[in-house]
Amino acid sequence: MSAELQKNKESCGDQPPAIVGFEHINRYWDPQNSVFAAKLLPGEYYVSTTGEMITTVLGSCISACIRDKVFGIGGMNHFMLPDHAENQNGSWENTKVNAATRYGNYAMEHLINDILKQGGRRDNLEVKLFGGGQVLRIATNIGGKNAQFAESYVRMEGLTLAAIDVEGPYPRKVNYFPATGRVRVKKLEPLHNDTVVSREEKYLHSLVETPVETEIDLF
Amino acid sequence: MRPDINILVVDDFSMMRRIIRKLLRELGYMNVAEAEDGNTALPMLESGDFDFLITDWDMPGMAGIELLRAVRDDPELSDLPVLMVTSESRREYVLAAEAAGVDGYMVKPFTLDALRDHVDRVFGSLAVA
Repeated sequence: MSAELQKNKESCGDQPPAIVGFEHINRYWDPQNSVFAAKLLPGEYYVSTTGEMITTVLGSCISACIRDKVFGIGGMNHFMLPDHAENQNGSWENTKVNAATRYGNYAMEHLINDILKQGGRRDNLEVKLFGGGQVLRIATNIGGKNAQFAESYVRMEGLTLAAIDVEGPYPRKVNYFPATGRVRVKKLEPLHNDTVVSREEKYLHSLVETPVETEIDLF
Repeated sequence: MRPDINILVVDDFSMMRRIIRKLLRELGYMNVAEAEDGNTALPMLESGDFDFLITDWDMPGMAGIELLRAVRDDPELSDLPVLMVTSESRREYVLAAEAAGVDGYMVKPFTLDALRDHVDRVFGSLAVA
C-alpha cells in the first residue's frame, strides 16, 4: 500500500461495523477507490449506512441497487431466478405463481425491508438495475428473464427506476455507492471470465436443489 | 373447506399481495381483498364481513403485530382467524405473535402446500371448536 493510500485509509478511520445480520459479507479496504467495500456473491445482499462501496460481478444474475435518496441509506442484492424448466418438481408444478417469482420477490423484498429498517422511507427509494447478461452455457436466456422480472417488480411496486443497464452478451462489474447513488459499471470481456460463469452455474444448480420454503411449526 | 369465505390480505408489497391472492385462488378461495398496511386494513375489517385475515409483519404505518393486537382488542373482531406471513423467523418474533393470539405463522418464501396446510389448520381447528 502506497503512503498516499495508507493516508487515505487513515483519514477514513477504522472499518465501520456491519449492520447486524450482514457480518458474513466479505468486507475490506479498497485502495483503488479509497473506500471500505463489501463484495457480494450470488445469493447475497448487503445494506450500508456508512458510505461503503458495494461491489459485485454479474453474469446472468441481476443486482438491484436500491437506496433512500434523501437519507443515503441503501444496498444491493445479487440474485437469479431458478430456471423454470429445471424447477418443475412436486407441489410447484401445478401452481401458476411459480417458484421463480417467489424467489425473486424474496430477494427484492428482503433488501427493501432492511433499508426501511435502517430508517429509509419507501417514498424516497430509487432503484438501479444491472446484469441479466446472456453468458451461461445453456440454451435458455436466463439473464433476460431475470432482467424482465426485476423491471416488472419495480413497476409493480411503484418504485422509481433511476437507471438500468441489463442484458447483452457480457458480464458486468458493478461498484455502487449507496450514500450518493453513484454507480460504476464495467462491461467485461465475455470469453475471459469463466469464473463468473462457473460460479453462476453452481449457484443456479443450488437453487434447483434447495426448495424455496422455510416453515415454523408452532401451531 | 368453505370456498366462499372472505379473506383480507395485508402486505405493503403489491407483488406479495398478488402472489398470496393467486395462491389462494388456486386453493379455491376467490373472495380476496387487499390492504397495504394495518391502518388501511383495520377500517376494512371493522366495516366488512371478513372470515380470515392474512397479514405481513413488517409494514410502515401500522405493522402486522399491531394490527393483530387491535383485532384481538376489538370485541367484534376478536375471534377472527389471523395468519401471519413474514420473513421474520427469529424465535422472539414467533413468540410475540403467539402471545398476541395469532392462529398461524408462516415464514416467506413459502409453497402452495404450506399455505394450504395453514389455511386448513386454521379452519379445521375452528370446526372442532
